[in-house]
Amino acid sequence: MMENEEKIVEKAQEGDKDALARLVNEYHDRIYHLGLSMLKQEQDAEDMLQETFLTLVEKVHQFKGNSSIYTWLYRIATNIALKKLKSKPRKYPHIPIDEPDFKKIHEKETKEEMEFDFEKVNNYKFRKTLNEVLDELPPKYKTVFILRDLHNLSTRETAKILNLTESNTKVRLFRARNYLKEKLEDLKTEELMV
Amino acid sequence: MSKEKKMYEKVCEYLGCDLDAEPCKELQEHLHKCPQCEVYIDEIKNTVKLYQKADECEETPDSVSKKLFATLNLDNPKQD
Repeated sequence: MMENEEKIVEKAQEGDKDALARLVNEYHDRIYHLGLSMLKQEQDAEDMLQETFLTLVEKVHQFKGNSSIYTWLYRIATNIALKKLKSKPRKYPHIPIDEPDFKKIHEKETKEEMEFDFEKVNNYKFRKTLNEVLDELPPKYKTVFILRDLHNLSTRETAKILNLTESNTKVRLFRARNYLKEKLEDLKTEELMV
Repeated sequence: MSKEKKMYEKVCEYLGCDLDAEPCKELQEHLHKCPQCEVYIDEIKNTVKLYQKADECEETPDSVSKKLFATLNLDNPKQD
C-alpha cells in the first residue's frame, strides 16, 4: 500500500490527474503480471491492463473505500480476465479434483518423496510445462491459486475479489494445490525433477 | 465419521490456509507421528514454491507502460 494512499485516492476522485497517475504507476506492474498469469498471452495481458485502468479513470469516483484500492483494482482486472477466458471457450480435461487419497498417502514410502530442483525454473521448457499444468485447471481454481499463492493476497481479499466465502476460497485453493502436486508427481520425468 | 475422513478435513483446512500458519494441535500431533503426511504436506509446499519461483515478477515492458499512460492521457511519474 502506498503512503497516504487514502488521500491520493480522494484526490483522484476529485479528478486530480497527478493522483491518478500515481495510482497507475503504483499498481500497473501487478495488474500486468496478473494478466500474464491468467491469460498467458502478452497481448491479452496488455489489453486487460488497459481496460482495468480505463475503468479506474472512469469509475474511481464510485470507489467507496470499503476495501483497499488495489483489492478494487484486482477485482476489476480479474473480472476482465475471466470474461476473456470465457470468450475463448475451450474444453478442460476431466480433472478429478477429489479429496486426496489418504490411504494412498499412508501407503507411500517416505523415501519416494518428490525432490524439487528449484533452479530448473530458469529453464524455458520447464517453465512452459509448469504453465501448461496450471492452465489445465478450470478458471475458478486457477484464479484462486494465482491470487493467493502467486500474488500473495490473503484469503479474505481473495474471497472479496471473487465474491466467494472464505471457506469456499480455502477449498478451491486446496484443490488447486493438490491437483498441481499430483500432476507434477505424475509427470515425474527427468526434465521436471532432480 | 471415519478417522481418516476427520483427518482429511483438518488437513484440507490447513492446506487451504497459509502454509506457514500453525496447524491445529491435533494435526500437529498427527504430523509428528506420521511421516507420510509430513511428506505430503512438504510436497504441496514445494509445489507452491516452485510455481512462485517460476512466476517471479518482472517489470512491465517500457513500451507497455508508455502505451498505457498515453491511452489514459496521463503523465508517467517515472519519466519526470
